[in-house]
Amino acid sequence: MSAPLLQIDDLSVTYWDRSLLGLRANGFEAVKRATLTVDAGQTLGLVGESGSGKSSIANALLGLVPPSGGTINFDGQDLATLRKGFPPEIRQKIQAVFQDPYSSLNPSMTVEEIVTEPLKVHTRMTRVERHEKAVELLKLVKLPETHLHRYPNEFSGGQRQRIAIATALALQPSLIVLDEPVSALDVSTQNQIINLLYERRDALGISYLLIAHDLALVHHISDRIAVMYLGHIVEEGPADRVYHQPAHPYTQALLEAVPLLDPARQRARRAERRGRVTTDMPRLSEKGCPFSGRCPHVMDRCTARMPPAFTVPDGGTARCFLLDDEPNEQGRSKD
Amino acid sequence: MLLTLLFCALFAEWVTPYDPLQQDLINALQGPSVEHWLGTDDLGRDVLSRLIFGSRIAVIAPAEATGLAVLIGVPIGLFIGFRGGWWDWVVMRVVEAVVSIPGIMVAIVIIAILGTGLHRAMFALGILYSTAFLRLARSVVLTEREEVYVKSARVIGAGPTRILLRHIFLNIAPPLIVQVTLTVGAVLLAEAGLSFIGIGVQPPQASWGTMLNSAASFMELSPFLAVPPGIAIVATVLAVNLLGDVLRDSIGRGVRVPSTGAPAQRMLAVPRKATTPMAPHPDDALRVEGLEIMVSPKGEAEVPVVTDMSFRIAKGETLGLVGESGSGKTVTGLGLMGLIGTGVRITNGRVMLENTNLLGLDRRDLEKARGNDVAMVFQDPTTSLNPTYTVGNQIAEVLRIKQGLSHRAARDRTIELIDRVGIPRPAQQADAYPHELSGGMAQRIAIARALSCTPKLLIADEPTTALDVTVQQEILDLFRDLQDEFGMAMLFVTHDLAVAADICDRIAVMYCGEIVETAPVDALFADPRHPYTAGLLSAMPHGQSGKPPLPVIRGSVPAPGHWPTGCRFAARCPYAIDACAKPVQMTGTDRLERCTRADELSLEPAK
Repeated sequence: MSAPLLQIDDLSVTYWDRSLLGLRANGFEAVKRATLTVDAGQTLGLVGESGSGKSSIANALLGLVPPSGGTINFDGQDLATLRKGFPPEIRQKIQAVFQDPYSSLNPSMTVEEIVTEPLKVHTRMTRVERHEKAVELLKLVKLPETHLHRYPNEFSGGQRQRIAIATALALQPSLIVLDEPVSALDVSTQNQIINLLYERRDALGISYLLIAHDLALVHHISDRIAVMYLGHIVEEGPADRVYHQPAHPYTQALLEAVPLLDPARQRARRAERRGRVTTDMPRLSEKGCPFSGRCPHVMDRCTARMPPAFTVPDGGTARCFLLDDEPNEQGRSKD
Repeated sequence: MLLTLLFCALFAEWVTPYDPLQQDLINALQGPSVEHWLGTDDLGRDVLSRLIFGSRIAVIAPAEATGLAVLIGVPIGLFIGFRGGWWDWVVMRVVEAVVSIPGIMVAIVIIAILGTGLHRAMFALGILYSTAFLRLARSVVLTEREEVYVKSARVIGAGPTRILLRHIFLNIAPPLIVQVTLTVGAVLLAEAGLSFIGIGVQPPQASWGTMLNSAASFMELSPFLAVPPGIAIVATVLAVNLLGDVLRDSIGRGVRVPSTGAPAQRMLAVPRKATTPMAPHPDDALRVEGLEIMVSPKGEAEVPVVTDMSFRIAKGETLGLVGESGSGKTVTGLGLMGLIGTGVRITNGRVMLENTNLLGLDRRDLEKARGNDVAMVFQDPTTSLNPTYTVGNQIAEVLRIKQGLSHRAARDRTIELIDRVGIPRPAQQADAYPHELSGGMAQRIAIARALSCTPKLLIADEPTTALDVTVQQEILDLFRDLQDEFGMAMLFVTHDLAVAADICDRIAVMYCGEIVETAPVDALFADPRHPYTAGLLSAMPHGQSGKPPLPVIRGSVPAPGHWPTGCRFAARCPYAIDACAKPVQMTGTDRLERCTRADELSLEPAK
């Protein structure tokens, strides 16, 4: 097997409150020693709620925030050490599509100016060549050529997201970071964009890092899924396994919180959930599992230390002591 | 007006009847006459000629000062805004020092250093007004820097110069134009002022300021002398400002709304009365009949956003109003409370809350009804709560105003309510500010406030959309519990059918400003009758399994003003036939559909 396209190891991202004199004060660790792999031509879904640190991973990977630890190996280079910005050849290979289609396109540029901007920055193409490329790019995202001379405000959210995707495709990148690309769109438009992304990935051999909060949506297009909670990657594995047989209690809670489309079954599920006794306030322990405060299966050792990554029988890993085959030994080693 | 000014300035020599400096002491201080249309001044010079020559100064002076101000202010503003840090700090302190002193004083000081004379005076004003441009450019950069498209440009690999010029500078244009015209006006006035006190343009050269100066000296003898230059200054300043507004509106490219004028006219021909079969029922908490809401986009013909909207909600019942963005569900919710903005008009229909038509109330009664009888919870709790008051105060305020409770009683009731919505340590949390709470907690506060006066109807507009799914689950549980306890009817506006399945008793599906289907929740999911409902259900992410292509509804929602005259969904409907080109009425008894083929189609239920 060849080396993965992207290998993130022990990545940490810390944001610092700066005091008046520019000295570093309180640090907030948004990502805590995260490890992720994206293979060429594959999609990794990164799922989590707000504040889980998933966008911080994206920003570190795009060179928008400096990592505070760990390595980001992309295409044979460690991006985490490039403090002075990425060289152009790396920039060309990693592109991004962001969440808000209303603010991700410059309102005072035409569609043609927007989609050809990467070409202006990175290539020596002539105006005619760029125009030809722009026509081709719009075709890739299924927009008519006539849209080239219009401004972003004339388009709907779905169309804008297509324009953003066309821009990301312009330099034929090997990885596109999709940061909540469809969460601002209506369901039907969401599916149109997901279908388009899926189709383009297979046709062009691109990899995606797909960041989203909706596990159900992510699982359709991902090969593997990683679930984040408060800066930790708590579960990782093949998409179908994570979606259908979640191993970590947090993943289970995440899936269960999405209401079912069957009102009768949903009523039954709510009644069952509310019958359970749960601890109300999250007891955040510094050392232990971040989910221990909300976890229905919490054990003593969960608050004592962060569980290591245990192998899940059907593929992947989960950081939960429930998967520990030898609980006694683990219990002893704690003392 | 401005063209005249420019013409006069350019061709002053040819249009003036007399040399502006030619003195004729015998005919000094004359009123208007045939030879001298606007009379003569103290030295017998023709006022009209001097006015025309003065216009030359009125063009040169602002051009100089404004040009200088832009050249100094904009680049520095862009630079410090983009660089930030120490550069920004130092420059901004200097600017603040300059603007804290009255402008004309600064100008006088600079002139005192440089010496008098028009060009020096304008140089002084240019430096002075550059601070305004500097601050403008800086503030635009600061906001633009955070825009996602600037972030995108960084990802593309664009360098700082490119980002600054290509992405940020372009968006400065509209406010810059306004600032330029304001400055031109201000410089014009300042020039007149400086010349008036004798340190701007030096006599005998003609400028409107010097003319005013000499007019003031002879106010007693010839009061008319001050009128021509005065009018000239006022008119020019107003004209320049007006031009700025026009330019901003036309040059601010990419900000205009595409015209929707023509199709709007056709839409006005929809039936004016409620066509949905619906008889009054004693259990009704709310009955909406034939509601129609029109919006007039700026400068364009009115277009309908909600038409023939009829539904009822029984006491203690929850009706879900479901649809894609742009379907008119939010404006319906706001319309029920009479909370409609400018340019929005309710043109038809009745909103019966028990036996009162809310739309028939005058403003005072409507305000009384809001909060007491109808309350609302909005999507984003962090913006629907006022950041400057503690959350407890915001609830207590409602109780004091609406229910006339004393401070003490309001406070006690507030803490009770905060406790009721499941917030731990209520007495302590009542003193928290909204930003100190998480989104879920803030939404609980908003719910407590909405329920403070035990309303008969609660309108919830996407109350869980901004929240994480685990928090959403808790908020939905809370709505359920509170409804059991308070017994209010609820209108739950959402785009998410799964949320509607969880919380609602009945669901009304909206598309293009009208309800296309209403049914009890179980029936709707088990047996959708309208193709749009079926399309939405099949597109739900957990409604399908497997790999793409995922099911979609082809096309997109047409904007108001572009709705088809027949069935509005026909163009996107896989089952459309010729008959769908005619307008469709709601039909049915226990559940209602707006589809000509409702009886013959068998559509796929939710999975």
